[in-house]
Amino acid sequence: MTDVTKNIQLSEEEFLLNMGPQHPSTHGVLRLVLKLRGEFIEDLTPHVGYLHRSIEKIAENRTYAQFMPFTDRIDYCASMPCNLAWALAVEKLAGIEVPPRAQYLRVLMTELNRIASHLIYLGVMSLDLGAFTPFLYTFREREWILDLFEMTCGQRLTYNYMRIGGVSRDLPPEFYQSCKNFTKVFLKKVDEYEALFTYNPIFLTRTKDIGILPIAVGLEYGASGPTIRGSGHNWDLRKVEPYSSYEKFDFNVPLGTKGDVWDRYMVRVQEMRESCKIINQALDGLPEGEIKAKVPGVFKPPAGEVISRIEAPRGEMGYYLVSDGSTKPYRVKIRTASYGNLQVLRYLSRGWKIADLVAIFGSLDVVLPEVDR
Amino acid sequence: MGYFKEFFSGIYNLLLGLKTTAKYLPERAVTLQYPKEKWPMPERSRGIVVLLSDPDTGELNCTACLLCQKACPVAAITITQAKNETTNKRYPKTFEVNNTICCFCGLCEEACNFDAIKLTGLYEFATFDKESLIFQKEKLQELGRNVKYEKKRKSVAKKPAAKSETTETKPQSAAPSDPPKGEEA
Ligand code: SF4
Ligand code: SF4
Repeated sequence: MTDVTKNIQLSEEEFLLNMGPQHPSTHGVLRLVLKLRGEFIEDLTPHVGYLHRSIEKIAENRTYAQFMPFTDRIDYCASMPCNLAWALAVEKLAGIEVPPRAQYLRVLMTELNRIASHLIYLGVMSLDLGAFTPFLYTFREREWILDLFEMTCGQRLTYNYMRIGGVSRDLPPEFYQSCKNFTKVFLKKVDEYEALFTYNPIFLTRTKDIGILPIAVGLEYGASGPTIRGSGHNWDLRKVEPYSSYEKFDFNVPLGTKGDVWDRYMVRVQEMRESCKIINQALDGLPEGEIKAKVPGVFKPPAGEVISRIEAPRGEMGYYLVSDGSTKPYRVKIRTASYGNLQVLRYLSRGWKIADLVAIFGSLDVVLPEVDR
Repeated sequence: MGYFKEFFSGIYNLLLGLKTTAKYLPERAVTLQYPKEKWPMPERSRGIVVLLSDPDTGELNCTACLLCQKACPVAAITITQAKNETTNKRYPKTFEVNNTICCFCGLCEEACNFDAIKLTGLYEFATFDKESLIFQKEKLQELGRNVKYEKKRKSVAKKPAAKSETTETKPQSAAPSDPPKGEEA
C-alpha cells in the first residue's frame, strides 16, 4: 500500500484497481485509482504529474521570444493555439498592434489545428471503443493538415510559428490551392465519419446517456470548451471575447443538449465543419501587408501583469504573465483546458462500469502533457 | 417483434459502416517503402542545422557575431570567436551544435543576419553514439555545401512589395523585419 492508497477505506466487497499510468486508453500517462464494487466504479482519484516538465519555471529563465518553442510542448496535439495565447499575452503586455494579415494567418492556422486536434480525438476515441478503422481514416486527413503546416513553418508537430507581433513566415505559394482542396474534400470526409459513427447502434449504446454532465457541475469544476458546450452551455471565447479578429468571421457555436458522451462527440464533429467555414473565409479574405509588427531585437516589455485567454480545441487556455520590466518574464502561470476538464471525470464516472469510464474519459479529450505542463 | 427490428437495424447499420470500408478496398495502399522510397521534404523543413558557405569563395558566411548562440533557447550552439589578422575579419574558430538538445526551433536561423546558418530537411543521422551527434564546424560546413539559400540581407534592404495575389506570396518575405542590433553581440 502506497501513500496514495493508504487513506482509502474499503468495505468487504470493494477493492482498489490501478488504471495507468501506462494504460493505452489514458492517452499518455495518467494514473487513476479506482475503487470498485464488482465492475462498477464507486470512486475514482486521478493522479497527475507523470509528465511534469516545469514549463512555467523554464519560462522564467528564457526571454519572451525564446519561450515560444516551449509553448509548443504544452499541448502537442494543438500547438498553434498555445503559440497564439503566449503571443497574445506578451503583445497585450507591451501594447503591440498586430498587422491584419498576421491576425488572419493566426486564425487560419489555429482553425486548421483545431480540426487536426479534433481528428485525433475522433480517432483515439473510436480506438478506445474498439473500432480501429476510423482511427486510420482520421489520421489520413490529419496528415494533410500536417503537410500544410510543414510547408508553411517547416515542422509537423512543434510549429513555433507565431512570433511576438505576428507570425514567422508567410504562406508558401502552393498553400492556397492545397488548403482549398482540403476544405472541399474534408467536408465530405466528415460525412463519412458520421456514416461510420453517429447513428451506429454500437456507438450509440456505448455513448448515449453515459456520463451526463450538468452545466452547473461543469462550471463548478472549471470545465470548458466542447466538454461544457456538449451540455448546452453557450460559451465560446471566440464569440464572447473575440481575439485576433475573430469578430470578422461568420460561424456558429455548436451546442449539445444533454451533456452525455454522444453530445460531446457531436459538438466536436460540428465544430470541424465550422472550422472549415472559418478557414475558407480566412483564405478568401486574407488582407495584404506585413506579417509581423516591428518589435525591437532586445525586447523589454513594461512591468506589469496580464492575462490572455483563447479558445483552444480543448477549451479555455491562457497565460497569466507577470513582468518586472526585464528581458525575461518574472512569473508565468499557464491555464490549460485539460486540467479543468479532467476534474469532472470523478463526478461523471461514479456508478458506471470500467468500460464506460474509457468512453467518458475519451470524450473529455484530455491531453496529459497539457494537464501537467 | 422488437427483437427482429433491432436485429435488422443492427445489420443495416453494420452494412452502412462496411460500405465506407468497401469503398477503400480497391484503392492502392499509401504505405511508403521507406529506405527504398523517400518522402520529398518541403523546402522550409526545419531539420538539422548546417552552416552555409559563400558559393564563390567556399568560405563560411559566419562572422562569429554570436547572435544565434544568444537566440538559442536551449543553448545548443557554442562558438569561439577569432580574428583573421590579415583581413581583420572575425570568424568562428570553433562552431559546435549539440544535436542531442537542439529542438529544431529555427530561432538561430532567424537571428542570423549573414545567411550563415540554416535549418535543412536533411535527416538520417541516427547513430549508436551520443557523442557523434555533437557536430563541429567542419561537419556543419560539409553538410551545408550544397544547400541552396536565398540571400536574406538583400530582401531585408528591399521593402516587401505588396502582393496582389495570395498564391504569389514569396517565402522570403518573412525575413525578420527587426534585425537584432549589432551592438548587442
Ligand atoms: S548569427 Fe550567423 S553570423 Fe552570427 S555567429 Fe551565428 S551563424 Fe555566425
Ligand atoms: S534550431 Fe533552435 S535549438 Fe537548434 S540550434 Fe537553432 S536555436 Fe538552438
